[in-house]
Amino acid sequence: MRCGVVCLFAVLGLFGLDALLFRTPLYPSYLEPDSSTGLFELILRREQAAQAANGDNLVATLGNSRFAYAPRLSNEVTFRTGYVFRSAGVAGSDVRTWYYMLRDLDPTAQRYRAIVFGVDDFDDEDVAFNPDDDIRSLHYVIARLRWGDALEFARSFKSRQYQWEALRGALLKGLIYQADFRAFLSDPLKRIQYVQLSHRGYEIWTYDYVETNKSLAGLEIDWSAWSAKFPPGLDQEQSDSVRIYVMRKSAPQTGRLAAYRRLWFGRILDLYRRSRTRIVFVRLPRGPIPRPDNLVRKLSGSIRELASQPNVLLCDEHAFDSLERPELFKDALHLNRDGIARFSPMLAEKVGSMLGATAER
Amino acid sequence: MLFNTTGFFLFLAVVLALFYASPRAWRKYILLVASYYFYASWNPKFIALLLALTAIDYTAGRWLEKVSAARARKAVLILSLTANLGFLGFFKYYNFLGRNLAWLMGRPENAFWMDIVLPLGISFHTFQSISYVVDVYRGQQKAVRNAIDYALFICFFPQLVAGPIVRARHFFGDLFDWHPPAADDVSRGLLLLTLGLTKKMALADQFAGIANGYFGSVAANPGMLTAWSGVFAFGLQIYFDFSGYTDMAIGMALLFGFHFPVNFRRPYLASSITDFWRRWHMSLSSWLRDYLYIPLGGNRGGRWRTYRNLMLTMLLGGLWHGASWNFAIWGGYQGALLSVERVFRGDRPVGEGRAWLYPAKAILTFGLALIGWVFFRAANLTESIAVLRQMFGGAPGHVLLAPWHWGLAAVSLAVALGEEKSEWLERLSKAPVLAYASGLAAMFFFLEMFGAFDAAIPFIYFQF
Repeated sequence: MRCGVVCLFAVLGLFGLDALLFRTPLYPSYLEPDSSTGLFELILRREQAAQAANGDNLVATLGNSRFAYAPRLSNEVTFRTGYVFRSAGVAGSDVRTWYYMLRDLDPTAQRYRAIVFGVDDFDDEDVAFNPDDDIRSLHYVIARLRWGDALEFARSFKSRQYQWEALRGALLKGLIYQADFRAFLSDPLKRIQYVQLSHRGYEIWTYDYVETNKSLAGLEIDWSAWSAKFPPGLDQEQSDSVRIYVMRKSAPQTGRLAAYRRLWFGRILDLYRRSRTRIVFVRLPRGPIPRPDNLVRKLSGSIRELASQPNVLLCDEHAFDSLERPELFKDALHLNRDGIARFSPMLAEKVGSMLGATAER
Repeated sequence: MLFNTTGFFLFLAVVLALFYASPRAWRKYILLVASYYFYASWNPKFIALLLALTAIDYTAGRWLEKVSAARARKAVLILSLTANLGFLGFFKYYNFLGRNLAWLMGRPENAFWMDIVLPLGISFHTFQSISYVVDVYRGQQKAVRNAIDYALFICFFPQLVAGPIVRARHFFGDLFDWHPPAADDVSRGLLLLTLGLTKKMALADQFAGIANGYFGSVAANPGMLTAWSGVFAFGLQIYFDFSGYTDMAIGMALLFGFHFPVNFRRPYLASSITDFWRRWHMSLSSWLRDYLYIPLGGNRGGRWRTYRNLMLTMLLGGLWHGASWNFAIWGGYQGALLSVERVFRGDRPVGEGRAWLYPAKAILTFGLALIGWVFFRAANLTESIAVLRQMFGGAPGHVLLAPWHWGLAAVSLAVALGEEKSEWLERLSKAPVLAYASGLAAMFFFLEMFGAFDAAIPFIYFQF
């Protein structure tokens, strides 16, 4: 009996200590800014501050590093579009993490005129990497998870191993913060100073960020021979990225991506069900040289299905086809400085025209 | 099935539930089946070996009690010892002897090589068996009548793989007079289980990262501080690893109503090497004393015989750990230190001396223990010498430990000093509910923040 009570109190004590440190701002305010969680939190915090500083014409964009545009350049045409663009995207993130980002960034679902999601394709093409089993999600959103999320979040992973990892991490956040915490203990003062510096400077560093001008100009691909001709001067990373992402072999179509997108975009749409906020989907420039369409017969197009909902808009799939040129990409996935310079105002104009004039709404 | 895995804790929970839900007469059968299942989860083939040794030593015990002629009794003892040491020798030392024989004969190194897998825990259960048969031979222990009881003594899963080496009189005392564990025992068991897991996962496995990194590429990590910090990390790893395992074993046994002997008593606070061996792997030290050192003559034959006996005992103790020259040297080093210490100490009792000298003595003893660990951990003699060269003559190098590692070491030292003074961990299990629960919660939290959960790292002593 005594041992049962002791065990119960000890477990409660453990959860209490964990909650005190990691479910209050006490520790999450001092996360390493360069870590997955720290970066996610920094962006969330930056965008919360931007909400207060801007008016009623905000458009938030969400995506991973492929959704590379410069809000500064998009906002240079605000006088025409009427909208101010803010990027809440996080490199390496996906729709599961965007859901938790939006839930805390826009708790009333009223703060933005539109949320723009940048996706690779409106069709659901399964590739070798399955986003539903991407455990990085746990690290991005750990500070956002509440007690009630634990089970649902864990079940959204496919493999038992990740389900278990996600469940225990969502319940005992210290397990996920371990490495960060140990690094913090190694030099607390340095960490605190770096966090303060990051909080002060992150808006300027990111808003004024200028992408590299490296490019793939001269790249040629012969799809019939499945071979690439690389121009001289390309570095190893650039050519590897072409081999891995552009020249990749097609994966078996299982429907996992479609199910994943339906689940998480569905949950995002639920957040905005009775909101004035429009949900916009944009197909990003696919790459320096797009893969032929007939390589894979896709089973579904879940994004297209979502368009039947009242506040969802699909941007013309071919709106940015003109940017799919080697000279506008720094590697197989990301636009370079010139690409971004063209894409940013194009995106603003396109989305602006879809949303209509600010006064209309 | 490692003690530091979820699978093992599920197994333990099921066995505990079955054990206490069953009629009393069934309980030892449940423990026996669970223990064989536990052993078979590693390698079911070696169950046959375990059963064979169990049958041999059980029968030897029975014979020893039936036979009264001294020569016949001696023959039974020799038969049993031959079987036990024969199996141990074949599995553990065959290739070592073969390699050395090949070298002596000028033949290729693998001339006598055989692909032998070492059965898990063979060194431990062999020593346990030998102590039983010898005790029966000496008349210090009655032969066990029921083969099931004897089988359980050998294969009881908390101590089967890596000890502590339990004496028959302790085990059968608990088994024959079994009663449900008292509340204090359950409290202490839970505390030890948690403490052991914390030692293993939050301390040993963290220091393992540094020690493995260093010893994995000694040549790439030159420097005096580098070498000392790598060896220091291993010193902490092996202590927390093995004492953590032992704490868990003792704690589990308490939950089943069995009392195992204490195996570690803060050895790194020892004030001399003699003191160190009275605190480190105590069940092995006392086994070596009772079944090797004293039969060799102990300290009864004068100074030189004492030194010889110490050297022989520690050499064999070293070789018990593993079949390599490194372990022999490690054992010899310990024997030499004990002998030298004996020369200086004379007949004065261990631990006597000026109190203010204690910190210096403890640091010196710890340093000497660290030097010994070089031979224990390094892959071979060449690597051991390379590490020692760096420790005593390398360039400055750099410290491998991060500040939080030092923090862990400092917390451990503070806990150990507190425990040495007031045995507060022992008292914690008897403290009021809230104080005890707070202590456990603090350990859980420490485990949460510092435990290595990514991969279950095996216990070091499982290889012996």
